[in-house]
Amino acid sequence: MADADEGVKPANGKPETKLLDELEKGPWPSFVTEIKSAQGVTGGAEDLLGQLELSYEDKVSHWKHGGLVGVLGYGGGVIGRYSDVGEQFPKVAHFHTLRVNQPAGWFYTSEALRTISDIWERHGSGLTNMHGSTGDMILLGTTTDHLEATFQELTHAGFDLGGSGSAVRTPSCCVGMARCEWACFDAMKLCYDLTMAYQDELHRPALPYKFKIKCSACPNDCVAAIARADLSVIGTWKDDIRIDQAEVANYATAGVDIQKDICANCPTRCMDWNGKELNIKNRDCVRCMHCINAMPKALRPGVEKGAVILIGAKAPILQGALLSSVLIPFVAADELLDTLKELIQRIWDFWDEYGTNRERIGELIQRVGLAAFLDGIGLDPAPEMVSAPRDNPYIYYQPAKEDEA
Amino acid sequence: MPTFEVEGKKYDVDEDGFLQEPDLWTEDVAKDFAKSESIDALTDGHWKVINYIRNYYLQFGIAPMVRKVCKETGYKLSEIYQLFPSGPAKGACKLAGLPKPTGCV
Amino acid sequence: MTTTPLQPRLTDVGPPRYDKYLPPIVLKNYGTWKYHETLAPGVLCHVAESGDRLYTVRGGTPRLLSIQTLRKYADLADKYCGGYLRFTSRNNVEFLLTDPAQIEPLKQELALLGIPVGGTNNAISNIVHTQGWVHCHAAATDASGLVKSMMDALIDHFTHEDLPAKLRIAVACCLNMCGAVHCSDIAILGVHRRPPKVQNDLLTKACEVPTLVASCPTGAIRPVPGVGGKQSVEVLEEDCMYCGNCFSVCPAMRMADAENDGLSIWVGGKVSNARSAPRFSRLSIPFLPNNPPRWPEVIEAVTKIVDVYRGEARKYERVGEWIDRIGWPRFFELTGFEFTRYHIDDFKNAGMTFARSTHIRY
Repeated sequence: MADADEGVKPANGKPETKLLDELEKGPWPSFVTEIKSAQGVTGGAEDLLGQLELSYEDKVSHWKHGGLVGVLGYGGGVIGRYSDVGEQFPKVAHFHTLRVNQPAGWFYTSEALRTISDIWERHGSGLTNMHGSTGDMILLGTTTDHLEATFQELTHAGFDLGGSGSAVRTPSCCVGMARCEWACFDAMKLCYDLTMAYQDELHRPALPYKFKIKCSACPNDCVAAIARADLSVIGTWKDDIRIDQAEVANYATAGVDIQKDICANCPTRCMDWNGKELNIKNRDCVRCMHCINAMPKALRPGVEKGAVILIGAKAPILQGALLSSVLIPFVAADELLDTLKELIQRIWDFWDEYGTNRERIGELIQRVGLAAFLDGIGLDPAPEMVSAPRDNPYIYYQPAKEDEA
Repeated sequence: MPTFEVEGKKYDVDEDGFLQEPDLWTEDVAKDFAKSESIDALTDGHWKVINYIRNYYLQFGIAPMVRKVCKETGYKLSEIYQLFPSGPAKGACKLAGLPKPTGCV
Repeated sequence: MTTTPLQPRLTDVGPPRYDKYLPPIVLKNYGTWKYHETLAPGVLCHVAESGDRLYTVRGGTPRLLSIQTLRKYADLADKYCGGYLRFTSRNNVEFLLTDPAQIEPLKQELALLGIPVGGTNNAISNIVHTQGWVHCHAAATDASGLVKSMMDALIDHFTHEDLPAKLRIAVACCLNMCGAVHCSDIAILGVHRRPPKVQNDLLTKACEVPTLVASCPTGAIRPVPGVGGKQSVEVLEEDCMYCGNCFSVCPAMRMADAENDGLSIWVGGKVSNARSAPRFSRLSIPFLPNNPPRWPEVIEAVTKIVDVYRGEARKYERVGEWIDRIGWPRFFELTGFEFTRYHIDDFKNAGMTFARSTHIRY
């Protein structure tokens, strides 16, 4: 700490970064090298290095709390950031971030990447995240007076801002049908269609809290929908696993121990191998993907495809972390968009009515009970929604409805 | 601390232009801050929203949720954005002299 | 500098259409992929019903990328991939080729640029992480530096598929956890260990007291009269578990504490449904010091977990599934990590984690 002041004093216009320089060594590509390579774009990168070096010495963040900036007509999409050492590092005194919707599946052309890079060279620090945790492209660091111009150049190039605050967050999805044989629905199209359907809710926060939608096209769940999406759409299939017995035999010949590696790892023990044929009792299969993952040339999901709709995942804040739980056990692929739109509206109506400020939908369901939530959105209870029926007799019996029957 | 100056008057504000002392709010604050929120002149519609938010804040100590603002003022969200181009949180709450809305974004 | 916005003003255009940036081979075979093979770590071949073959070369990135590097990626995409590329959910970059003869030249060029190729199947993929000190006010640690230090140590497991199953690592700088950190094989989580320091003068100006009181999961914050008759709050320190949510809603509740902030390590979570159900990660080490720039204590602990897992787990077992089989006592024995009072849950529903059987391994 004694030499903290000396250590970060700009020399020849560039800060000394003894600690960060350590992170340029080693085989993994270095974020410090990235920040250094953006020096000269606006000066933001230089001062970011200086401030970060100070954090590495002080062991605390030097960003101030919050910040509320944006573009006209939108209530989110820009994360305001101010430095608490702005006098020392004036070029990051104001250092706001734009969240920009990623293309579905994070596909780009070289031209699109260059367009974004050029815009961000004109208006920002030249630093990005590819991508942020939610999936957005992150343009890291600019000043308030550049926000509108950046925004307009982005929209003219066919990009738009992502969500922040109590709004729909940018939906995200796996690569799906673009490059995966396991895709059980068109995750990229669904993700795009939902994003377009909720432009207003994405750009103009009006919900009790954030609402994340993620689409994974098979139960491998490559976008972690079940762990972090308020509404998780996870692909599955209803009919039998497709088997190519000759390819199963080829895997066996190539050294896969079918009985031990495949059958014994099946969670419902629904398959057996007689040395020639793999027999699957599909009635017992829970579509976990293990056997398909292990032998992709021999096994494939069935052809009656669709998705499970789950609800309520979130990180610990406030009442503890939750995984999403089953809401609709199966929706056919071609009915997904319409079903989801109707369902989401009913969920939001209920959340609007009963949710408190900053209460995620999963926490609301915990508070009022899944059964009450189902009543509220007009869904019938189904045994697929629980791991087991209740084991306590504290049942809120409803009074008999005398007018009925 | 940044200050916001208009017609010779000075207000202590934070970086985002929010009034530092919510208790010092008067109707003049709303009028003086309007230009900075891309509002030419405050209409009855603006006042309806500002007064609702201000009174809610004085009664409950918090800003009302957006849907409540819409419900109680009768304005659709799109109309609120027409009145306050930077939105209810940044625009309307600022003019109503509320503390800056916060949270993990 | 010019900041004049373009006209006409466009809003709500949404993201690019989902098929706008797809390579021709993907458009042609969209939804008709048949199977895939792994040609080498980081190199996949997807085969379509049509017989077309799409080759993917996956490279690791630091996530934080300059526009100079993005332009380099664009140049590579032009040179080898007809101008197409994509990124993955774990911050890898993928080059999509149709000519297998171009794989080796591309790999050589990536090697020259310092971009490691790997991250597929039974490997460690890139670490997903949060902003940390680079751009977040709430961070109890830095993410980018931790990730860089860990991947430097673990890179051989990125470039080689030499683990029992895939291994997913994630870093979050505070309990807000932007990212699925809580369901990772190994999660590194920044933690505070001291209650917030209430700044009364700021609080009365900048914070809503009812929101602040409601923000505390344990009810440790209660309103009290402050200066000048205004409301402030006090913190019942014995009830505070340092989650930092009060700071999220009120800047006057400062959490950052250079001496007491640090890292916790969690293991055994997963999101995939393969074999066992998705599950949360569990506490492995309650606290390690914040020790930039290289966090040696964290690197040592994570390397230890990976080494023990690699030596002990059976083929296909994820970390959590391996621990299911051997039991938590053996996990602590094999890793040498101390089991402490902090490992026993004491939040809501804590009793669900008590052992309520005599199934004990001796």
